[in-house]
Amino acid sequence: MSDTPTRDDDQTLPTDGSSVEQSPSDAPARGYTDEQKYRIFNKEFMPHIDSMYNFAFRLTTDEDDANDLVQDTYLKAFRFISSFEQGTNAKAWLFRILKNSFINDYRKKSKEPAKVDYQDVETTYNSEDAETEHTVDLRAESVSDLIGDEVATALNSLPVDFRTVIILCDIEGFTYEEMAKILDIPIGTVRSRLHRARNLLKEKLRDYASSMGYKEETDE
Amino acid sequence: MKENCSHQVDCLKMIQLILDGEATEQQLAKLQINLESCQPCIRMYHLEKEVKELLTKRMEKRCCPDELVATIKSRILSFS
Repeated sequence: MSDTPTRDDDQTLPTDGSSVEQSPSDAPARGYTDEQKYRIFNKEFMPHIDSMYNFAFRLTTDEDDANDLVQDTYLKAFRFISSFEQGTNAKAWLFRILKNSFINDYRKKSKEPAKVDYQDVETTYNSEDAETEHTVDLRAESVSDLIGDEVATALNSLPVDFRTVIILCDIEGFTYEEMAKILDIPIGTVRSRLHRARNLLKEKLRDYASSMGYKEETDE
Repeated sequence: MKENCSHQVDCLKMIQLILDGEATEQQLAKLQINLESCQPCIRMYHLEKEVKELLTKRMEKRCCPDELVATIKSRILSFS
């Protein structure tokens, strides 16, 4: 997406440069001047707004909710800007705020199609037996004709925590280490959650593929 | 060429690490060998690659509406 407009112009940068002001936040506070805050916001935060919106839309599956979520996240990011270290991974920092806002504020009211919470799913899937450790019987050729909308529907039907790891990894291209930070979970959990998420997704895709008339062999 | 394999789940996990760019040299080398000798690995590799490509290339990327960008910019100006 090289044609993505970059929203990093300096229009919102105030020129008076009134400094002082220190917000008491949780993380090590950095004494940015107002001018620095606006520069960080415009140069380091705004360029990620399209990815942030895409993430918000994939999480909420609703344009209005995505709008609210992105706006809340950016306002929060500005309010807590002193806990952001200039030059570090702004995208991961922002995604973490968005994901936390989503869990705290939106998940409750969102109309998730399946009332399955990750906790339940994880309990079911986490049992030590190898039941969950399987491969999905599906062939590459069966899914190669699926269109974006069908993939999106399959993805949306996954419980939100599984959907999230797939979005972060495959759509946004975060590394496992970045995902661990965004989600506050160990890297090993990132790996296993991704593995399970992909198995679930492939099962959904298989349902699609077979409804489209592809025949799957059952060679176990 | 191996037609069946009892390590499929482990190989699948390794294939995912490789496609995610998170694998070690050793794992990469192992997959190279398997792709020449193991039918289940070949199948899984192509499927995982295809699914990942569906997600990276075929899903529509939503862009942030311009009005929202404008709203955010004006809202943060009122903070100072």
